[in-house]
Amino acid sequence: MGFGKFLARRILQGVFVVWGVVTVVFFLRFLTPGDPTATLLPPDAGEAVRQRLREQLGLDQPVHIQYIDYLTDIAMLDFGLSMREGRPVGELILVRLPATLELAIAATIVAVVIAIPLGVISARRRHEPADHGATLFSLVGISTPNFWLGIVLIMFIAVRVGFLPVGGRSVNLTQVVTMLADGQPQYLGRWLGQLILPSIALGTYFTALITRLTRSGMLEELGKAYVKACRAKGLPEALVLYKHVLRNTLIPIVTVLGLQLGTLIGGAVITEEVFAWPGLGSFLIRRITLRDWTAIQGTIIVIGIGFVIINILVDSTYAYLDPRVVDE
Amino acid sequence: MARETKLRVEGLKTRFFTEEGQVNAVEGVSFEVAEGEVFGIVGESGSGKSVTALSVMDLVDAPGRVVDGEVWFRSPALADRVGEEIPEAVDGELVDLRRLDARERRALRGAEFSTIFQDPMSSFNPSITVGEQIAEAVEVQRRARANPRSVRSRTQGYGLSSFVVDSLLPTREYVHRPSRDRAIELLELVGIPDPAERAGEYPHQFSGGMLQRAMIAQALAGEPSVLVADEPTTALDVTIQAQVLDLLAELQAETGMTTVLITHNLGVIARMCDRVGVMYAGEIVERGTLEDVFDEPVHPYTQGLIGSIPDLEGSHQRLEPIPGNVPSLLDAEMDDRCYFADRCPKAMHECLEKPPDFAVDDLHAAKCYLARHDYDEADALPEGYFDA
Repeated sequence: MGFGKFLARRILQGVFVVWGVVTVVFFLRFLTPGDPTATLLPPDAGEAVRQRLREQLGLDQPVHIQYIDYLTDIAMLDFGLSMREGRPVGELILVRLPATLELAIAATIVAVVIAIPLGVISARRRHEPADHGATLFSLVGISTPNFWLGIVLIMFIAVRVGFLPVGGRSVNLTQVVTMLADGQPQYLGRWLGQLILPSIALGTYFTALITRLTRSGMLEELGKAYVKACRAKGLPEALVLYKHVLRNTLIPIVTVLGLQLGTLIGGAVITEEVFAWPGLGSFLIRRITLRDWTAIQGTIIVIGIGFVIINILVDSTYAYLDPRVVDE
Repeated sequence: MARETKLRVEGLKTRFFTEEGQVNAVEGVSFEVAEGEVFGIVGESGSGKSVTALSVMDLVDAPGRVVDGEVWFRSPALADRVGEEIPEAVDGELVDLRRLDARERRALRGAEFSTIFQDPMSSFNPSITVGEQIAEAVEVQRRARANPRSVRSRTQGYGLSSFVVDSLLPTREYVHRPSRDRAIELLELVGIPDPAERAGEYPHQFSGGMLQRAMIAQALAGEPSVLVADEPTTALDVTIQAQVLDLLAELQAETGMTTVLITHNLGVIARMCDRVGVMYAGEIVERGTLEDVFDEPVHPYTQGLIGSIPDLEGSHQRLEPIPGNVPSLLDAEMDDRCYFADRCPKAMHECLEKPPDFAVDDLHAAKCYLARHDYDEADALPEGYFDA
């Protein structure tokens, strides 16, 4: 089986997963007690008004009709109107999605750039000071709660030293691009600056986790017979380590990275709160407290789609790293 | 034998420093292999055969270490180059590899020494094509010839930065075109049909026998003068074993490679080897020509090994297994005596006092008092002596 077929199958599977998510989200509404119109209308609204609203929203239709309507809307990426502000949910999500993606990707980059070299050094210099240092770092990193690290970073670096902003997202990427075109590169600095502390707070745990994974994976691979065979043919150590050993070590790491990126899209709720970062996680929590059903449903579906896309990417990376995957 | 010595191993000792204690895997192994000869090392599992091979190749990994011994290798060119710097490492045209630094030794791997490993499936990287892996072995030597100094540098002229550049630029690669073509030729040489197509396949798409052929091709890539084959047929089906052995014998005869063949299979030894060393508990206990060792074994262990071969044509006698097991090679549990004494039907008191030694320079020699005098029943150990 070729890679194209492999990819097509994965995408098809992904479509089914998204359909499943949409279905669950749709029926979830019927599990919660109460009439949706109760949250939309003032408590003293009359029955006639409620009935008109139900008709307007299609809530008077039988469930299967509502379900099909819902699926059609979602298929056209129409998530409906927010039950609180009456603005399209898609628009509300679209405002927050870039912030979330930005933070998730930045945290992942921090993790990969630090963790993989650290893990490689740690495995190569096993039981030497560098290895002990890396092991200690990963132990501390795994044990440190994100929110606490975030608060400490704000207190010491943002407040006391006065370097980097305390929180918020004052510049977005579109602004950076327009300003760059305008010859004002300082916006790029501000954009990067506001991203540094949150991505460290969010990325430390994953950095620590991936350091450990890289170390143990490298050690496992280094013990395999093919490494000895590589050395027996006189291959330069750089090729043995990076072309052979590290590449095979990356397979479990990619899995964890994918899962991590997925969770981060679902919202680094606490980190977003600490840094007043306007992402999807904090949006979802707020909408849950407001019982804004359409917004909740829309956000969950978007997060689900994000998960599916990342999984397809992870699977494609597998296929690149390990040719046996495609053959199965 | 008129042929000159190609490889002479003396007093090789390899230790593993494990949590359970020190393991004496190779305990003073000595043997000599003449140019173009096939020398067999035979022994049970756990006798230290494979570690001996790895020690000669300098491929022992932590927690193991070669702690003592000399590995003399004939190479006039190397002797010339090294002679001035480290005179004690050179004896005529022979060079003691153990006294060279790690870079010099590494430069010999693939070029002068090649290895065939036991399990072809795990000895190839599963995620890189077979052709690419063989081409790598060719490429290493191509680059070494182009720039002999680079192989002895810390990175062999190819460090992390070169790897990053080669990975990022699509036009650059470690393995160059001619090496890939050569890899296909090598696959053809070892009898793989459709070599050009098979070169692009991954190890899991090969059968065990085909992959072992590919490993032989990889071992030939650097046109080595010494081939160390560590159980080359053990992982294969019996019918495939014969084919692979035929191929090895044919290639050996063609290239005149000096070969060290390690196996537990006496049949393989009988078919391939000129001379044999029998290994037990980290030592070579008997050595000699194939005829000497097979027809007139001296050491009771060798006798036991040969007695346990089923005879297809002869009488239907019961096979005689050697009682007991290979001893643990933990240093703490090894006394200063003949290690075979507790399994030996002819153990005597003197075997416990001092380990027997070879008579030096004997073509056929055994580490056993029986090589010096006949079995003395008066001195025999009482039955059940070791059970207590």
